Amino acid sequence: MFENNVFVEGSCRNVEEDGKIIGYEMETYITYYRGIPLSMVNHIKVETDGVEVPRENIRFTPDHIDWFTLDEMETVAGIKWEYDQKATVRVLQEGGLPKGVHKVRLTVCTRTAYIPFPLEGVVTREVTI
Amino acid sequence: MSRIKTCVSLYSLQCEFMAGTMKLEDVFRYMKELEVEGIELLPDQMLHGTPEPSEETYAEWDRLVEKYGLDLACDDIFLNTNLYKNRELTKRECVDLIKKEIVMAHRLGFKVIRLVSMVPAWVLEPVLPTAEKYGISLCIEIHGGLGFDVPKTEEFLQEMLRLNSPYIGIVPDASLFCKRVPRVITEYYQQVFGTSDEIVRFVDEIFARGSDLFSEGKGIDIYHVPGLSEHIVNKEADEAYAGNVFGFENRDLSCMDPYVKNIQHFHFKLYEMTDEGEEYSIDYREILEYLHKHGYDGYVSTEYEGNRWVLPGCEIPEKEQIAKHQKMLKKLLKEIQG
Repeated sequence: MFENNVFVEGSCRNVEEDGKIIGYEMETYITYYRGIPLSMVNHIKVETDGVEVPRENIRFTPDHIDWFTLDEMETVAGIKWEYDQKATVRVLQEGGLPKGVHKVRLTVCTRTAYIPFPLEGVVTREVTI
Repeated sequence: MSRIKTCVSLYSLQCEFMAGTMKLEDVFRYMKELEVEGIELLPDQMLHGTPEPSEETYAEWDRLVEKYGLDLACDDIFLNTNLYKNRELTKRECVDLIKKEIVMAHRLGFKVIRLVSMVPAWVLEPVLPTAEKYGISLCIEIHGGLGFDVPKTEEFLQEMLRLNSPYIGIVPDASLFCKRVPRVITEYYQQVFGTSDEIVRFVDEIFARGSDLFSEGKGIDIYHVPGLSEHIVNKEADEAYAGNVFGFENRDLSCMDPYVKNIQHFHFKLYEMTDEGEEYSIDYREILEYLHKHGYDGYVSTEYEGNRWVLPGCEIPEKEQIAKHQKMLKKLLKEIQG
C-alpha cells in the first residue's frame, strides 16, 4: 500500500567515518500518510543478498540529529518522523558493501492509530556500489 | 439559509507534498486556483512538530491563511492509543492528547475537528469543557468498515446523543456508499499482488446485487462472508483484496437519517473520475440531493484516495483528479442549490 514511499531510489551507499567504512545506509519515507513519534515504528528490516541483517546492527535517524537502535526507538515518543522527511536506515557492517551489484530489501512497518494491523511497505532494489 | 460548500482535504495532494513537488504554499495556491471554498488539513501530514508546532510553523501557517483567504473547514486529528508497543495509552493520557489537539486546532483557526475512527467514546465527557472553551466541535469519522454497526463507533454515537452538545458531531465518509468496488483498487491488487479473477468476480456480484462484504460478513470479517472461502484462489493476494474491500460499503443513504442533524462535515471520497466526469464508485448527485433535502449547512470535502492505488511507475494524477471532482461537485451543486 505504501510501496511508493519505501527506499528512495539511488540512496543506498557506504558510510565512511574517520577514514573507515563503518557500514551502509539508505533513505526512506514513512509507510503512512502522516508523521508519527518514533515509538510507533513497529519494525524495520534489511535483507542484503538474501541474508537478513541482525536487528541490533540497524540504526535509524529521522533527521541526522539523533540516532537510535530499534530497541531504543520503542520508547522515543518525543521525536517524530515527519511525513515529508526522508529518514536514514543505517546498517553497521565493517567495510560496508563490497564493490559491485547487490540486492537490498528494505521493510518499513508502522503502527497506525486506528487500523488494527501495522502498515508495511517492502521494496527491493538492485544497488551498485 | 443553509448552503452546501465545497472543500478539498489537502490529504488529496499528499504525494505531491511528500515528493516536494508542491510545498504548502503551492497547495494553497492550487486550492485558490480551483476556487475551492474551504480546506481540510491533517496537521500531522503537512505541519511539523504537531500537536505542539513551533512559533515559526504557526507564523508560516498564518501567513498562508491570510494571503490565500481560504476557509478552514476541518482539522483531521488522530489519537495514538498505540504510541507504545507494550501497552495502550491510559484514559488520562488520551484525554491530555485530545486537549492538546483542541488547543492547536483553535490556534490554527479551525472550528471543526474530525476525530479518526475508533477514538474511544469515553474521551468525550472529560474533553468537552475544553472544546466548549475554544469553540471546537469534535466529530467522529463514520468510515466504511469502521462506522455504523461497529461497536466502538456505535458507543461513540450513543455517547454523542447522551451528551447532546453542539460541540460533538459526525463526519460521514462516502466510502459508506460505494455502488461498486473502485476499479483502480482491483487493478492494483491484480497487477501488483496477483489477486485472482475468481475472487474479483465473486465480490463484484455481491455489489451488483446491492450488498457488500461488510454486511455479508456481519461486520465481523471476510471469513464470515458466506461462500467467500470457496472463491479464494491465490490465498494471500485474494484475502488481502477482500480484506481491503471490507472497508467499502454499499449502504442506503437512510443510514444517516437518525444522525443527520449531527453531520458537521462530510468526506467525499474520490477513487477515480471517469471520462464521463463521474466518480466511478459513488453517486454524488444522490448524496448531495439527500444533504440538500435535509438542510445540511456545511462543507463537502474531496478526499482523493486513488493516489494510493496508482500502478508502480505511473504518474499519480492528484491535481487532475481533484480538479475533475471539484468540477463535478460544482456542477451538481449549481443544479441542486441553484
